[in-house]
Amino acid sequence: MNTTPHLIDSLVADAAPVRPLRPPLERTLTWMLIAGFILTLLGISHGFRPDIDTCLRDPLFLTGLAGSFATAALAGGAAFTVSLPDRSRAWILLPLPALALWMASIGYQCLTDWIRVGPGGVQLGEAATCFSLVLLTSIPLWVAMLVMLRHVAFLRDPAAAIAATLAVAAVAASALSLFHNVGASAMVLIWNFGATAVLVLFGSVFWNRVSSWVNPR
Amino acid sequence: MSSRPQRPAPALSLVADNETSAPHSEQRGNADRNLDWSICMALAQSGDREAYRGLLIEITPYIRSLAVRQLHNRADAEDVVQETLLTVHAVRQTYDPTRPFGPWLVALANRRIVDALRRGGRIGARETPFEEEHETFVPLAANYHDAAADGRTVQAAVERLPPGQREAIRMLKLEEMSLQEASRTSGTSVAALKVATHRAMKNLRKLFEHSGKPK
Repeated sequence: MNTTPHLIDSLVADAAPVRPLRPPLERTLTWMLIAGFILTLLGISHGFRPDIDTCLRDPLFLTGLAGSFATAALAGGAAFTVSLPDRSRAWILLPLPALALWMASIGYQCLTDWIRVGPGGVQLGEAATCFSLVLLTSIPLWVAMLVMLRHVAFLRDPAAAIAATLAVAAVAASALSLFHNVGASAMVLIWNFGATAVLVLFGSVFWNRVSSWVNPR
Repeated sequence: MSSRPQRPAPALSLVADNETSAPHSEQRGNADRNLDWSICMALAQSGDREAYRGLLIEITPYIRSLAVRQLHNRADAEDVVQETLLTVHAVRQTYDPTRPFGPWLVALANRRIVDALRRGGRIGARETPFEEEHETFVPLAANYHDAAADGRTVQAAVERLPPGQREAIRMLKLEEMSLQEASRTSGTSVAALKVATHRAMKNLRKLFEHSGKPK
Protein backbone atom coordinates (compact mmCIF):
# COMPACT_ATOMS: atom_id res chain seq x y z
CA MET A 1 0.00 0.00 0.00
CA ASN A 2 1.15 3.55 -0.72
CA THR A 3 2.25 5.82 2.07
CA THR A 4 -0.31 8.31 3.35
CA PRO A 5 1.37 11.37 1.72
CA HIS A 6 1.35 9.55 -1.63
CA LEU A 7 -2.31 8.71 -1.14
CA ILE A 8 -3.08 12.37 -0.41
CA ASP A 9 -1.26 13.37 -3.62
CA SER A 10 -3.35 10.96 -5.68
CA LEU A 11 -6.62 12.05 -4.02
CA VAL A 12 -5.81 15.72 -4.67
CA ALA A 13 -5.00 14.91 -8.29
CA ASP A 14 -8.42 13.26 -8.58
CA ALA A 15 -10.34 16.07 -6.85
CA ALA A 16 -12.89 17.08 -9.46
CA PRO A 17 -15.59 19.54 -8.33
CA VAL A 18 -18.67 17.90 -6.83
CA ARG A 19 -22.16 19.18 -6.04
CA PRO A 20 -23.21 18.72 -2.40
CA LEU A 21 -26.30 16.53 -2.08
CA ARG A 22 -29.64 18.29 -1.77
CA PRO A 23 -31.34 18.12 1.66
CA PRO A 24 -32.99 14.74 2.48
CA LEU A 25 -36.52 16.20 2.35
CA GLU A 26 -35.95 17.53 -1.14
CA ARG A 27 -34.51 14.19 -2.30
CA THR A 28 -37.43 12.29 -0.74
CA LEU A 29 -39.91 14.48 -2.59
CA THR A 30 -38.02 13.87 -5.84
CA TRP A 31 -38.16 10.12 -5.32
CA MET A 32 -41.86 10.26 -4.42
CA LEU A 33 -42.50 12.22 -7.60
CA ILE A 34 -40.81 9.42 -9.55
CA ALA A 35 -43.01 6.90 -7.69
CA GLY A 36 -46.12 8.96 -8.46
CA PHE A 37 -45.14 9.12 -12.11
CA ILE A 38 -44.73 5.33 -12.29
CA LEU A 39 -48.06 4.75 -10.56
CA THR A 40 -49.74 7.13 -12.99
CA LEU A 41 -48.29 5.25 -15.96
CA LEU A 42 -49.44 1.96 -14.46
CA GLY A 43 -52.91 3.41 -13.88
CA ILE A 44 -53.12 4.48 -17.52
CA SER A 45 -51.82 1.19 -18.94
CA HIS A 46 -53.32 -1.29 -16.50
CA GLY A 47 -56.38 0.54 -15.22
CA PHE A 48 -57.70 0.64 -11.68
CA ARG A 49 -59.24 -2.44 -10.16
CA PRO A 50 -62.93 -2.92 -11.10
CA ASP A 51 -64.21 -2.39 -7.56
CA ILE A 52 -62.18 0.76 -6.90
CA ASP A 53 -65.32 2.82 -6.11
CA THR A 54 -66.39 0.37 -3.41
CA CYS A 55 -62.87 0.15 -2.04
CA LEU A 56 -62.51 3.91 -1.74
CA ARG A 57 -65.56 3.93 0.53
CA ASP A 58 -64.09 1.19 2.75
CA PRO A 59 -62.27 2.71 5.77
CA LEU A 60 -60.07 -0.37 6.13
CA PHE A 61 -58.89 -0.15 2.52
CA LEU A 62 -58.24 3.57 2.88
CA THR A 63 -56.33 2.99 6.11
CA GLY A 64 -54.14 0.34 4.49
CA LEU A 65 -53.52 2.51 1.43
CA ALA A 66 -52.66 5.53 3.56
CA GLY A 67 -50.41 3.31 5.68
CA SER A 68 -48.48 1.99 2.68
CA PHE A 69 -48.10 5.44 1.11
CA ALA A 70 -47.00 6.93 4.41
CA THR A 71 -44.56 4.06 4.89
CA ALA A 72 -43.12 4.70 1.44
CA ALA A 73 -42.66 8.42 2.12
CA LEU A 74 -41.25 8.02 5.62
CA ALA A 75 -39.00 5.09 4.71
CA GLY A 76 -37.71 7.07 1.73
CA GLY A 77 -37.02 10.02 4.03
CA ALA A 78 -35.28 7.72 6.50
CA ALA A 79 -33.14 6.21 3.73
CA PHE A 80 -32.00 9.60 2.45
CA THR A 81 -31.30 10.85 5.97
CA VAL A 82 -29.40 7.88 7.42
CA SER A 83 -27.36 7.69 4.23
CA LEU A 84 -25.63 10.91 5.33
CA PRO A 85 -22.66 10.07 7.58
CA ASP A 86 -23.28 12.71 10.25
CA ARG A 87 -27.00 12.04 10.82
CA SER A 88 -28.35 9.90 13.64
CA ARG A 89 -29.10 6.26 12.94
CA ALA A 90 -32.34 6.75 14.92
CA TRP A 91 -33.90 8.13 11.74
CA ILE A 92 -34.33 4.50 10.66
CA LEU A 93 -37.24 4.31 13.13
CA LEU A 94 -39.17 7.05 11.33
CA PRO A 95 -41.40 4.77 9.19
CA LEU A 96 -42.32 2.40 12.04
CA PRO A 97 -45.73 3.95 12.98
CA ALA A 98 -46.88 4.00 9.35
CA LEU A 99 -45.50 0.50 8.86
CA ALA A 100 -47.51 -0.73 11.84
CA LEU A 101 -50.68 0.81 10.38
CA TRP A 102 -50.03 -0.75 7.00
CA MET A 103 -49.21 -4.19 8.38
CA ALA A 104 -52.25 -4.18 10.66
CA SER A 105 -54.63 -3.44 7.79
CA ILE A 106 -53.06 -6.08 5.56
CA GLY A 107 -53.31 -8.70 8.27
CA TYR A 108 -57.04 -8.08 8.84
CA GLN A 109 -57.88 -8.03 5.14
CA CYS A 110 -56.04 -11.29 4.64
CA LEU A 111 -57.91 -13.00 7.45
CA THR A 112 -61.36 -12.13 6.16
CA ASP A 113 -60.53 -12.82 2.52
CA TRP A 114 -58.92 -16.13 3.34
CA ILE A 115 -62.04 -17.34 5.05
CA ARG A 116 -64.29 -16.07 2.26
CA VAL A 117 -62.35 -17.23 -0.75
CA GLY A 118 -60.45 -20.24 0.50
CA PRO A 119 -57.27 -21.82 -0.91
CA GLY A 120 -59.05 -23.04 -4.07
CA GLY A 121 -59.70 -19.45 -5.11
CA VAL A 122 -56.07 -18.75 -5.80
CA GLN A 123 -55.46 -18.61 -9.53
CA LEU A 124 -52.12 -18.79 -11.31
CA GLY A 125 -53.16 -16.05 -13.68
CA GLU A 126 -53.84 -13.68 -10.81
CA ALA A 127 -50.45 -14.51 -9.34
CA ALA A 128 -48.68 -13.71 -12.59
CA THR A 129 -50.50 -10.37 -12.89
CA CYS A 130 -49.71 -9.61 -9.30
CA PHE A 131 -46.04 -10.43 -9.72
CA SER A 132 -45.71 -8.39 -12.90
CA LEU A 133 -47.23 -5.41 -11.08
CA VAL A 134 -44.70 -5.78 -8.27
CA LEU A 135 -41.84 -5.91 -10.77
CA LEU A 136 -43.13 -3.04 -12.91
CA THR A 137 -43.35 -0.84 -9.84
CA SER A 138 -40.27 -1.99 -7.98
CA ILE A 139 -37.59 -2.15 -10.65
CA PRO A 140 -37.66 1.52 -11.76
CA LEU A 141 -37.94 2.66 -8.16
CA TRP A 142 -34.99 0.47 -7.20
CA VAL A 143 -32.93 1.92 -10.01
CA ALA A 144 -33.82 5.45 -8.87
CA MET A 145 -32.88 4.58 -5.27
CA LEU A 146 -29.57 3.03 -6.34
CA VAL A 147 -28.61 6.09 -8.32
CA MET A 148 -29.67 8.53 -5.60
CA LEU A 149 -27.96 6.54 -2.83
CA ARG A 150 -24.91 5.37 -4.75
CA HIS A 151 -22.51 6.89 -2.20
CA VAL A 152 -23.83 4.50 0.47
CA ALA A 153 -21.66 1.73 -1.00
CA PHE A 154 -18.61 3.52 0.39
CA LEU A 155 -20.21 3.82 3.83
CA ARG A 156 -21.09 0.12 3.97
CA ASP A 157 -24.17 0.91 6.05
CA PRO A 158 -27.11 -1.53 5.87
CA ALA A 159 -29.54 0.93 7.54
CA ALA A 160 -30.00 3.00 4.39
CA ALA A 161 -30.44 -0.16 2.31
CA ILE A 162 -33.16 -1.52 4.59
CA ALA A 163 -35.05 1.79 4.65
CA ALA A 164 -34.79 2.13 0.87
CA THR A 165 -36.06 -1.41 0.38
CA LEU A 166 -39.00 -0.78 2.66
CA ALA A 167 -39.87 2.36 0.72
CA VAL A 168 -39.86 0.49 -2.61
CA ALA A 169 -41.90 -2.39 -1.18
CA ALA A 170 -44.46 0.03 0.24
CA VAL A 171 -44.96 1.71 -3.13
CA ALA A 172 -45.30 -1.71 -4.76
CA ALA A 173 -47.94 -2.67 -2.19
CA SER A 174 -49.80 0.58 -2.84
CA ALA A 175 -49.79 -0.23 -6.56
CA LEU A 176 -51.21 -3.69 -5.83
CA SER A 177 -53.96 -2.18 -3.70
CA LEU A 178 -54.96 0.26 -6.44
CA PHE A 179 -54.65 -1.89 -9.55
CA HIS A 180 -55.14 -5.48 -8.49
CA ASN A 181 -58.43 -7.31 -8.00
CA VAL A 182 -59.28 -8.09 -4.41
CA GLY A 183 -60.48 -11.58 -5.47
CA ALA A 184 -56.87 -12.77 -5.30
CA SER A 185 -56.38 -11.57 -1.77
CA ALA A 186 -54.27 -14.57 -0.79
CA MET A 187 -51.88 -13.86 -3.64
CA VAL A 188 -51.85 -10.17 -2.78
CA LEU A 189 -50.88 -11.06 0.75
CA ILE A 190 -48.23 -13.56 -0.33
CA TRP A 191 -46.67 -11.15 -2.78
CA ASN A 192 -46.87 -8.24 -0.38
CA PHE A 193 -44.99 -10.09 2.28
CA GLY A 194 -42.94 -12.19 -0.13
CA ALA A 195 -41.81 -9.27 -2.23
CA THR A 196 -41.04 -7.23 0.88
CA ALA A 197 -39.03 -10.07 2.40
CA VAL A 198 -37.17 -10.79 -0.84
CA LEU A 199 -36.45 -7.11 -1.44
CA VAL A 200 -35.28 -6.57 2.14
CA LEU A 201 -33.08 -9.67 1.99
CA PHE A 202 -31.74 -8.81 -1.44
CA GLY A 203 -31.15 -5.22 -0.41
CA SER A 204 -29.37 -6.19 2.79
CA VAL A 205 -27.19 -8.89 1.29
CA PHE A 206 -26.37 -7.50 -2.13
CA TRP A 207 -26.74 -3.75 -1.63
CA ASN A 208 -23.04 -3.05 -1.55
CA ARG A 209 -22.34 -5.14 -4.63
CA VAL A 210 -25.24 -3.74 -6.64
CA SER A 211 -24.46 -0.21 -5.54
CA SER A 212 -20.83 -0.58 -6.58
CA TRP A 213 -22.00 -1.33 -10.15
CA VAL A 214 -23.68 2.05 -10.43
CA ASN A 215 -20.89 3.76 -8.54
CA PRO A 216 -17.58 3.08 -10.27
CA ARG A 217 -14.56 4.33 -8.36
CA MET B 1 -21.83 14.20 -9.99
CA SER B 2 -21.68 17.63 -11.46
CA SER B 3 -18.77 19.86 -12.21
CA ARG B 4 -20.57 22.99 -11.14
CA PRO B 5 -19.20 24.86 -8.13
CA GLN B 6 -21.21 25.09 -4.96
CA ARG B 7 -22.98 27.34 -2.48
CA PRO B 8 -20.70 27.30 0.53
CA ALA B 9 -20.53 30.94 1.55
CA PRO B 10 -23.80 31.80 3.33
CA ALA B 11 -23.97 28.55 5.17
CA LEU B 12 -20.45 28.80 6.55
CA SER B 13 -21.30 31.94 8.44
CA LEU B 14 -23.85 29.90 10.38
CA VAL B 15 -21.14 27.56 11.60
CA ALA B 16 -18.97 30.51 12.51
CA ASP B 17 -21.69 32.21 14.52
CA ASN B 18 -22.51 29.10 16.48
CA GLU B 19 -19.00 27.99 17.20
CA THR B 20 -17.16 31.23 17.96
CA SER B 21 -19.51 32.01 20.80
CA ALA B 22 -17.90 29.25 22.87
CA PRO B 23 -16.54 30.73 26.08
CA HIS B 24 -13.40 28.69 26.64
CA SER B 25 -10.24 29.08 24.63
CA GLU B 26 -9.98 25.35 23.92
CA GLN B 27 -13.52 25.30 22.62
CA ARG B 28 -12.73 28.40 20.62
CA GLY B 29 -9.69 26.62 19.16
CA ASN B 30 -11.77 23.59 18.21
CA ALA B 31 -14.42 25.86 16.74
CA ASP B 32 -11.81 27.72 14.70
CA ARG B 33 -10.35 24.45 13.48
CA ASN B 34 -13.82 23.13 12.64
CA LEU B 35 -14.59 26.34 10.77
CA ASP B 36 -11.30 26.15 8.86
CA TRP B 37 -12.02 22.57 7.90
CA SER B 38 -15.57 23.47 6.87
CA ILE B 39 -14.26 26.25 4.63
CA CYS B 40 -11.57 24.00 3.16
CA MET B 41 -14.09 21.23 2.45
CA ALA B 42 -16.51 23.66 0.83
CA LEU B 43 -13.66 24.95 -1.34
CA ALA B 44 -12.62 21.38 -2.13
CA GLN B 45 -16.16 20.58 -3.23
CA SER B 46 -15.93 23.44 -5.67
CA GLY B 47 -12.64 22.06 -7.06
CA ASP B 48 -9.95 23.97 -5.11
CA ARG B 49 -7.15 21.39 -4.99
CA GLU B 50 -4.82 23.32 -2.69
CA ALA B 51 -7.56 23.76 -0.09
CA TYR B 52 -8.29 20.06 -0.42
CA ARG B 53 -4.63 19.13 0.04
CA GLY B 54 -4.38 21.35 3.12
CA LEU B 55 -7.52 19.78 4.56
CA LEU B 56 -6.36 16.20 4.00
CA ILE B 57 -2.95 16.94 5.52
CA GLU B 58 -4.56 18.57 8.57
CA ILE B 59 -7.13 15.88 9.26
CA THR B 60 -4.65 13.00 8.87
CA PRO B 61 -3.10 13.25 12.37
CA TYR B 62 -6.58 13.75 13.85
CA ILE B 63 -7.88 10.56 12.20
CA ARG B 64 -4.69 8.76 13.26
CA SER B 65 -5.25 9.73 16.89
CA LEU B 66 -8.83 8.39 16.72
CA ALA B 67 -7.64 5.14 15.14
CA VAL B 68 -4.73 4.55 17.52
CA ARG B 69 -7.02 5.08 20.51
CA GLN B 70 -9.30 2.28 19.33
CA LEU B 71 -6.91 -0.14 17.64
CA HIS B 72 -3.68 0.01 19.69
CA ASN B 73 -1.74 -1.07 16.61
CA ARG B 74 0.20 1.41 14.49
CA ALA B 75 0.00 -0.58 11.25
CA ASP B 76 -3.77 -1.17 11.51
CA ALA B 77 -4.27 2.47 12.52
CA GLU B 78 -2.42 3.66 9.41
CA ASP B 79 -4.62 1.40 7.26
CA VAL B 80 -7.67 3.01 8.88
CA VAL B 81 -6.25 6.49 8.23
CA GLN B 82 -5.84 5.69 4.54
CA GLU B 83 -9.25 4.03 4.25
CA THR B 84 -10.87 7.03 5.95
CA LEU B 85 -9.13 9.44 3.56
CA LEU B 86 -10.39 7.34 0.64
CA THR B 87 -13.93 7.43 2.07
CA VAL B 88 -13.75 11.19 2.64
CA HIS B 89 -12.77 11.54 -1.00
CA ALA B 90 -15.47 9.17 -2.28
CA VAL B 91 -18.36 10.73 -0.34
CA ARG B 92 -17.24 14.35 -0.15
CA GLN B 93 -20.49 15.37 -1.84
CA THR B 94 -22.39 14.22 1.27
CA TYR B 95 -20.84 16.98 3.39
CA ASP B 96 -23.26 19.84 3.90
CA PRO B 97 -21.28 23.11 4.36
CA THR B 98 -24.04 24.44 6.64
CA ARG B 99 -23.13 21.82 9.24
CA PRO B 100 -19.93 21.38 11.29
CA PHE B 101 -17.21 19.34 9.64
CA GLY B 102 -16.00 17.49 12.77
CA PRO B 103 -18.99 15.15 13.32
CA TRP B 104 -19.06 14.28 9.62
CA LEU B 105 -15.38 13.33 9.67
CA VAL B 106 -15.62 11.44 12.97
CA ALA B 107 -18.62 9.45 11.69
CA LEU B 108 -16.63 8.34 8.64
CA ALA B 109 -13.54 7.52 10.72
CA ASN B 110 -15.63 5.53 13.21
CA ARG B 111 -17.11 3.40 10.42
CA ARG B 112 -13.66 2.55 9.12
CA ILE B 113 -12.46 1.82 12.67
CA VAL B 114 -15.40 -0.54 13.20
CA ASP B 115 -14.55 -2.25 9.90
CA ALA B 116 -10.96 -2.69 11.09
CA LEU B 117 -12.07 -4.07 14.46
CA ARG B 118 -14.38 -6.57 12.74
CA ARG B 119 -11.61 -7.55 10.35
CA GLY B 120 -9.25 -7.93 13.28
CA GLY B 121 -11.81 -10.07 15.10
CA ARG B 122 -12.19 -12.39 12.13
CA ILE B 123 -8.45 -12.73 11.63
CA GLY B 124 -7.84 -13.13 15.35
CA ALA B 125 -10.32 -16.01 15.52
CA ARG B 126 -8.35 -18.03 12.95
CA GLU B 127 -4.76 -16.83 13.01
CA THR B 128 -2.05 -16.20 15.57
CA PRO B 129 0.53 -13.69 14.43
CA PHE B 130 4.08 -14.86 15.05
CA GLU B 131 5.81 -11.98 16.74
CA GLU B 132 9.07 -11.42 18.54
CA GLU B 133 7.55 -11.86 21.99
CA HIS B 134 6.64 -15.45 21.15
CA GLU B 135 10.36 -16.26 21.20
CA THR B 136 12.05 -16.82 24.53
CA PHE B 137 14.57 -14.03 24.16
CA VAL B 138 15.08 -11.30 21.64
CA PRO B 139 18.72 -12.32 20.68
CA LEU B 140 18.39 -15.08 18.10
CA ALA B 141 21.21 -17.25 19.47
CA ALA B 142 19.42 -17.57 22.81
CA ASN B 143 16.43 -19.27 21.16
CA TYR B 144 18.29 -21.97 19.25
CA HIS B 145 19.85 -24.19 21.89
CA ASP B 146 20.73 -27.01 19.48
CA ALA B 147 22.43 -24.64 17.10
CA ALA B 148 24.36 -23.10 19.98
CA ALA B 149 25.52 -26.55 21.16
CA ASP B 150 26.63 -27.45 17.62
CA GLY B 151 28.47 -24.15 17.39
CA ARG B 152 30.37 -24.86 20.59
CA THR B 153 31.37 -28.34 19.30
CA VAL B 154 32.68 -26.94 16.03
CA GLN B 155 34.55 -24.20 17.88
CA ALA B 156 36.22 -26.80 20.15
CA ALA B 157 37.22 -28.91 17.12
CA VAL B 158 38.68 -25.88 15.34
CA GLU B 159 40.77 -25.09 18.43
CA ARG B 160 42.37 -28.51 18.12
CA LEU B 161 43.62 -27.85 14.57
CA PRO B 162 47.23 -26.78 13.83
CA PRO B 163 47.63 -22.96 13.92
CA GLY B 164 47.88 -22.46 10.12
CA GLN B 165 44.78 -24.53 9.39
CA ARG B 166 42.88 -22.97 12.32
CA GLU B 167 43.62 -19.48 11.01
CA ALA B 168 42.54 -20.44 7.47
CA ILE B 169 39.24 -21.92 8.70
CA ARG B 170 38.57 -18.90 10.93
CA MET B 171 39.08 -16.41 8.13
CA LEU B 172 37.51 -18.30 5.20
CA LYS B 173 34.66 -20.22 6.85
CA LEU B 174 33.77 -18.47 10.10
CA GLU B 175 34.39 -14.86 9.08
CA GLU B 176 33.49 -15.60 5.44
CA MET B 177 36.40 -13.63 3.96
CA SER B 178 37.32 -14.06 0.31
CA LEU B 179 40.62 -15.78 -0.53
CA GLN B 180 42.15 -12.43 -1.54
CA GLU B 181 41.09 -10.74 1.71
CA ALA B 182 42.38 -13.62 3.80
CA SER B 183 45.65 -13.61 1.84
CA ARG B 184 46.12 -9.88 2.45
CA THR B 185 45.24 -10.19 6.15
CA SER B 186 47.44 -13.19 6.91
CA GLY B 187 50.29 -12.52 4.45
CA THR B 188 49.90 -16.08 3.15
CA SER B 189 49.53 -16.93 -0.54
CA VAL B 190 46.15 -17.88 -1.93
CA ALA B 191 47.41 -21.35 -2.90
CA ALA B 192 48.69 -21.96 0.64
CA LEU B 193 45.36 -20.86 2.10
CA LYS B 194 43.49 -23.27 -0.20
CA VAL B 195 45.74 -26.13 0.87
CA ALA B 196 45.43 -25.22 4.57
CA THR B 197 41.63 -25.01 4.28
CA HIS B 198 41.40 -28.35 2.46
CA ARG B 199 43.54 -30.05 5.13
CA ALA B 200 41.60 -28.39 7.94
CA MET B 201 38.29 -29.66 6.54
CA LYS B 202 39.69 -33.19 6.28
CA ASN B 203 40.94 -33.00 9.87
CA LEU B 204 37.63 -31.65 11.15
CA ARG B 205 35.74 -34.43 9.36
CA LYS B 206 38.00 -36.98 11.01
CA LEU B 207 37.55 -35.38 14.42
CA PHE B 208 33.73 -35.47 14.14
CA GLU B 209 33.71 -39.03 12.80
CA HIS B 210 35.92 -40.08 15.62
CA SER B 211 33.82 -38.39 18.30
CA GLY B 212 30.49 -39.61 16.72
CA LYS B 213 29.13 -36.10 16.22
CA PRO B 214 27.24 -35.28 13.07
CA LYS B 215 29.15 -33.63 10.28
